[in-house]
Amino acid sequence: MRDGFSIVLKTSWNPVKEDYGILPAIVGTIISASIALALALVLSVSTSVLIVEVLPRRLRSLAEVLVDLAAAIPSVIYGLWGLYILSPFLKEFVMDRVVELGLGGIFGYPRGLGTSIFSASILLSIMITPFAASIIRVGLRSIPIHIKEVLASLALTKWEVIVMELKYIRRTIFTALAVAYGRAVGETAAVAMVVGNTLTTDFFKVFSPGYTISSLIADQYPNAEAYTYMVSALFTAGLFLFMLSLVINVLVMIYGEKR
Amino acid sequence: MSRDPIIIINDLRVRIGGKEILKGVNLKVPKNCVFTIMGPSGSGKSTLLRSINRILDLYDDVEVSGDVVVDGVSVYDPKTDPIYVRRLVGMVFQIPNPLPHLTIYENVALGPKINRLVRSRRELDELVRWALEKAYLWDEVKDRLHVPAVKLSGGQQQRLCIARALAMRPKVILMDEPTSNLDPVATSKIEELIIELKNYLTVVLVTHNPFQASRVSDYVAFMYDGTILEVGSVDEIFTKPKNKYTEMYVTGRMG
Ligand SMILES: Nc1ncnc2c1ncn2[C@@H]1O[C@H](COP(=O)(O)OP(=O)(O)OP(=O)(O)O)[C@@H](O)[C@H]1O
Ligand SMILES: [Mg+2]
Repeated sequence: MRDGFSIVLKTSWNPVKEDYGILPAIVGTIISASIALALALVLSVSTSVLIVEVLPRRLRSLAEVLVDLAAAIPSVIYGLWGLYILSPFLKEFVMDRVVELGLGGIFGYPRGLGTSIFSASILLSIMITPFAASIIRVGLRSIPIHIKEVLASLALTKWEVIVMELKYIRRTIFTALAVAYGRAVGETAAVAMVVGNTLTTDFFKVFSPGYTISSLIADQYPNAEAYTYMVSALFTAGLFLFMLSLVINVLVMIYGEKR
Repeated sequence: MSRDPIIIINDLRVRIGGKEILKGVNLKVPKNCVFTIMGPSGSGKSTLLRSINRILDLYDDVEVSGDVVVDGVSVYDPKTDPIYVRRLVGMVFQIPNPLPHLTIYENVALGPKINRLVRSRRELDELVRWALEKAYLWDEVKDRLHVPAVKLSGGQQQRLCIARALAMRPKVILMDEPTSNLDPVATSKIEELIIELKNYLTVVLVTHNPFQASRVSDYVAFMYDGTILEVGSVDEIFTKPKNKYTEMYVTGRMG
């Protein structure tokens, strides 16, 4: 490797000069993962609570089937939907509105169909949610009756009980999100389709098109053989992605499995 | 029974999953006494306790008919908020069930905090201490209030559950075999506590142990197959029981 460690600190990507920097992709991955996980946390916990605790019994199984079906949709379909429906929608109703408020300097300016780190994050969260929700649902259902009895006997209201139950299964929720995220990032196609695949110096602005590590690899690998060092650069990016997942898995082992 | 009843149960019938478990229970529990329910396993003692504070609501496919009135409140009136009933009536369960994800302190503090029974952190600290002292646990845990409750032994966990119920300052406390997991020393402490509690509230106790019943109770009801066979003062039940099942039970010939 010609550059050594500096490849992860550089922002340039210029194959003609054999000059590669993967920092934008790394930052893109971390930002999209963070937004996606935060949103998926809210979405998956609320759908699980809705299904297990709120919906009348007859609607429960229907809702459950719908959520499980959503988990079975191939990621290319998510990608197409994200590209032609979700991104333009987010552009028109979210990103353009935020820019109108004069916040474009912070969040960046969306282009074309609205493909961006932001759209990719939202799409990722939608893809993570069904997996995470099915694990959280099992967690909620496996809360022992004697725990529910104590919470009720202490005169907690239904919502207070639910909050306490979520605290009780917090490690399951954490594990569910990590596992679901691991699955969703593995499905590179969808993200690659909506993230924009553009190298900009504005890579930390979420409304601008950008790269994630996996979309960088998917996008650039087909012509990598034509250059001397690009394959190495992409492998470095891959190594980084591997290390990120390793970190997540270690966190799950330390925190999630403990009881 | 001379004193005013705090609990009145009228022809209470409970079905779970279509099976009739309480078959018309009638009871009056006087204020500020220890009222003990004895009876063989499966006779419906726990179910009866669960019906008084509406914990039965948590189970699927439960039908309740008849009346339960606690402190003038009709428990099963559709207008009655079960939360209100549960503030009035605390419960200690048959199996010690501290909340495992909370610390010792948090287990006791949870109910009073959420129900806003205290106005400051200091008041809460005092209430937690009071409850733990009453349950004879304070000395053993005062240096580790903030460790997870599951670190306690089984007997300590049960006393924690008693403290947790007391911290709600209920008017009635339901205790379902609270000493079945305790050693003789802890058991006699809890029995002392039960007798002392009469000064502030009413205790409805379930026990398998006739000796315990005779030591702590003012009144004893004998339950058999979903009905109350006999009720009386502790002396009546232990010295001149009218029912032959009651007699067999209190003399240890049936368990
Ligand atoms: N949730 C439930 N679902 C179905 N049946 C139940 C349920 N709870 C209790 N029962 C049944 O009701 C009957 C009475 O049970 P209960 O627990 O009230 O008895 P108990 O007198 O407390 O017995 P023990 O002394 O063993 O605790 C039993 O036959 C039991 O199988
Ligand atoms: Mg029982």
